[in-house]
Amino acid sequence: MTVIDDDLTLVFTALADPTRRALLERLAEQGEAPVHQLAKPFAISQQAISKHLKVLENARLITRRQAAQTRLCAFDGDRLDHAADWIARHLAIWADRHDQLAAHLAALRATTDDADNRTDSDEGNNAR
Amino acid sequence: MTTGELTYTRVHDAPPELVFDCMTQPEHLTHFWGPTGTSTPVEEITVDLRPGGSFETVMVSDADGSTYTMRAVYLTIDRPRRLAWYEGDVEGGMRTEVTFSRLPDGRTEVVTRQSNVPEPFLAPEARAGFETSLARFDAYLATLVTHPPA
Repeated sequence: MTVIDDDLTLVFTALADPTRRALLERLAEQGEAPVHQLAKPFAISQQAISKHLKVLENARLITRRQAAQTRLCAFDGDRLDHAADWIARHLAIWADRHDQLAAHLAALRATTDDADNRTDSDEGNNAR
Repeated sequence: MTTGELTYTRVHDAPPELVFDCMTQPEHLTHFWGPTGTSTPVEEITVDLRPGGSFETVMVSDADGSTYTMRAVYLTIDRPRRLAWYEGDVEGGMRTEVTFSRLPDGRTEVVTRQSNVPEPFLAPEARAGFETSLARFDAYLATLVTHPPA
């Protein structure tokens, strides 16, 4: 468990930065791309881009390989799926919990209504 | 893009005080806390309703009797507006905050925010709140150390 949890932390931290999210989205859309091409649309240095790519790689959101003179990056969706799974799993727990809470509140209301009705009818009897 | 923090909103047909009590009293929690297919025995629910107090539940599987214990520590208790707790031993630490808002029609909107968020990820305001809670928790622990319960 611990290993996975640490991975999740790396993923969430990697996704916390808008530049890294943009890099990831580009890679997800266009598949494998060379580093210099990835850096083009961003108004930050190649060095800064390299740092961001390193964070993404550490979180295993991308893979990198050397092809001849070019360093290529590719999107790796497994980790992202894992993060999305985490969110889906916990959302399901809360949805379920609230369904049951709603039922519990309805049961409480029914009990109170019964008590009220009994009181009402008692009052009715007293009035007669 | 996902951010590792989930928000779940639900409206309940009850006043905030009652919904808050349901979330914080074992005799209510036992009815709804565990996911479908589990039960949460009332005698195994611990609620020490103060910052630093324990919030523990044992969920028992209907199918095979296996149990899952949730161990949390309360961070914020503000009836009937806010409730927050922290689970330290699950998924690297998970914080849950629940807010209760009274709607004009008397119903209650319940917003649950849950994050298993490493510190660098938290928004500054969330981190400040969390640190304040932890500071209070530390202060509380310090009083225990200074004045051990008789």
